[in-house]
Amino acid sequence: MDQPQLRELEARCIQEEQPFCTAACPIHVDVRAFMAALAKGDLREGRKVLDRTMPFPEIIGRLCDQPCRPFCKRGEIGDPLAVGRLEHYCVTNTQTVVKLPKLPAKGGKVVVVGAGLSGMTAALDLARKGRPTTLVTSFPGIGGRLRDYPETTLPPSALAQAAELLFSYGVVLYTAVSLDPEAIDGLIATHDAAYFDWDEIAFSQLPFAANTPDPLTLALDRAGCFGGGGTADGSAYSAIKQVDDGRRATLSIERFLQKVSLTAQRDKEGSCATRMVTVTKHYAPAAEILPADPASGYTAAEAQAEAGRCIRCECLECVKQCVYLREYKEYPKTLIRKIYNNQAIVQGTRNANKMINACSLCDQCATICPNDFPVAEVVRTTRGNMVDNQHMPPSPHDFALEDMRFSLSEHCSLSRHQPGTASSRYLFYPGCQLSGSAPEAVKRVYDFLGAQLQGGVALMLSCCGIPAHWAGQKELFQQTLDAFRAEIKRLGNPTVITACSSCLSIFKEFAADIETTSLWETLDALELPANAQVRSTTSAAPTTPLTLHDPCTARHQHAMQASVRSLCAKLGLEIVENPYNGELADCCGYGGLMQFANQPLGRKAAMVKAERSPLNGLAYCAMCRDNLVAAGKPVAHLLDYLFPTPEGGNPLVRPNPGFSQRHENRARLKNELATTLWQEADAPVAAHKQIRLIISQEVLDLLNSRHILEEDVQRVIHHTEAMGQYLINPANNHRLACFRPVRVTYWVEYEPTDQGYLIHTGYSHRMQLQEDKQ
Amino acid sequence: MSTFSFLETTTWQCNSCGLPLQPAKVTATYLGGSFNVELMACPQCGFILVPEDLAVGKMLEVEQLLEDK
Repeated sequence: MDQPQLRELEARCIQEEQPFCTAACPIHVDVRAFMAALAKGDLREGRKVLDRTMPFPEIIGRLCDQPCRPFCKRGEIGDPLAVGRLEHYCVTNTQTVVKLPKLPAKGGKVVVVGAGLSGMTAALDLARKGRPTTLVTSFPGIGGRLRDYPETTLPPSALAQAAELLFSYGVVLYTAVSLDPEAIDGLIATHDAAYFDWDEIAFSQLPFAANTPDPLTLALDRAGCFGGGGTADGSAYSAIKQVDDGRRATLSIERFLQKVSLTAQRDKEGSCATRMVTVTKHYAPAAEILPADPASGYTAAEAQAEAGRCIRCECLECVKQCVYLREYKEYPKTLIRKIYNNQAIVQGTRNANKMINACSLCDQCATICPNDFPVAEVVRTTRGNMVDNQHMPPSPHDFALEDMRFSLSEHCSLSRHQPGTASSRYLFYPGCQLSGSAPEAVKRVYDFLGAQLQGGVALMLSCCGIPAHWAGQKELFQQTLDAFRAEIKRLGNPTVITACSSCLSIFKEFAADIETTSLWETLDALELPANAQVRSTTSAAPTTPLTLHDPCTARHQHAMQASVRSLCAKLGLEIVENPYNGELADCCGYGGLMQFANQPLGRKAAMVKAERSPLNGLAYCAMCRDNLVAAGKPVAHLLDYLFPTPEGGNPLVRPNPGFSQRHENRARLKNELATTLWQEADAPVAAHKQIRLIISQEVLDLLNSRHILEEDVQRVIHHTEAMGQYLINPANNHRLACFRPVRVTYWVEYEPTDQGYLIHTGYSHRMQLQEDKQ
Repeated sequence: MSTFSFLETTTWQCNSCGLPLQPAKVTATYLGGSFNVELMACPQCGFILVPEDLAVGKMLEVEQLLEDK
């Protein structure tokens, strides 16, 4: 990612866009911050917000015609906020809090002719910018039409305060000046730029034929002359329009004096559009709070209550749903900036590594985002770059990649035509996680497909390579995909039927030339299996409705989703949809290898998905099912009802097998199928695998969380018992031993018993230790 | 290079040498980073004890720090 790509991506996230009120306000008052302050009852903070943007808060706060109000999103759920009344309440109950600084004096003398609110604004802003500014009026004082307001609306003190402010910035004021064309010509001649306030000056008073000012720049036909304010454009008098014109003219004069373009990049000036998106449907409607006594305005409590109706418009639509963005307190724009900065570090700590490796890459955020911000794509590309640059930490992905290698190894993988056939029209691809989680279901599905589909059904036990894809291991992923492609070709290009939505998503994206479909669409096109559990006819069928949990990798696989629902209907399973399903489905924590890079976050993700509905669940992704069950939610797999076990049992509470059992299940499945269906010889059992372990559930859970397999434990014991090289605790006869097969040193505390080795604990580290020889 | 001490009395003894463990100077290395530490080890065969709380605590912390360098 380079700087231009970063900017382009950042621009797609609209969280930092102006809220609707601020965009509509010609001078872009931060109404959201103003409301937040008033809602807390912090008037001083509210006044600060006004002081920063309004030229004369004590005037504008009383007269603002609130052009923002029609754009207030509160209007969709009640009445728009009473912005004007709240501004009035604030300025009548506070004094100036912030006085903006005056920039160092510079050249470029400016005369402002006419001292209405527009001229006053221009004079104040120009003086603040360090321009020597003279304000000239034919009246005895400043204000123009402001002087016509009754004292109850605009007390004279407000104008006096404005005059004081102008003086404090060094504005030179001339009152009661005769402003005929000749006098004005003289003023133009003795200054570098001039602004005419139409609230006081008429076109006929100008010493040149005045055109209608350019609406963007307010420039008149004579160079350096600008005009605005008043009601010259035929509209009713608007205080905020006076300020807008005065401010616009100031910027034009600045540019004129600096000899730069008067027109470039002025689209955000004045009232403008915003790309902000704020969804209001989750807010309760609330009507405007009206003052009990309209003549005296809001009381403190009324003002606070009215400001409290502000919903603080922002987007954050993705963050509201994504456990990962919430965990790291980022939205896509800030996330991408951190990723960019992390990549740019040459020497030092790359603090964002863990964050980069914790994203589930599930694409839910991009589906929700009005601008399809591609967080997953950026994160995945970044991981690939980290691998290429050798900046990828080994620990987050090692375990999952080893698991993948094991699935691809001869211990677990198998690829055969249907027994007794030499060609295949179809190939069943259960995927490594279903084989690890429910190997018996794989056998039953394969039997069924073999009997029902014509033309031969091959079987392939393997891994699609998605862990390598998620880990940014491009080379390993490509090798896996190439091997899959070659094997499919060898089998005569059968249609691949996948039970796993992740495998299907990988094949559809990276092997589009191979014909693929989901197991669910295939089953939906066939008669239900004979033993399928139709509700109310069997004891193991669920007695309450289930909520369906679509996997995140099926997000865009609509035909698959439809078939799953059709199968549920045929089975008589009562399904209640939850709102975060289908295209909006959450990840269960496995996606993107989240649960390996940030284990607690993986658990949180599973909890969030599980808690989208109070009902028990039904999943059709083996990882979703097992992770949701581990999160404490009763969830069955659809295959549990389509192909129930002959032994019965409640599929909602079948435990998560854990990593070791998954390994064992895959290897056993391969061996059983190879020996029973293809009459191959039993695979030899490695010596260490023959070591019998006794492990309590508590220790098993501990080993699981530490990513230590039972086979790792067996290796340690096998190695150390053979050598007699272990530590011993004479107090309890426990032994403590370690073994480092490749990159990780495993430690096991155990005790030999007649039934096998009783395991007390296991832990590991990656550091290598060497005693310093004296 | 400073030395970090993780010495603690232990009931573990070396099985093959039949000796109690004693403090030893050890070099710990990971991803090109290297530290001097003091750990309990067998004075004869050099079997170094890494206690569980050290492996899942400080050691893991340092490993992750080095991984982000």
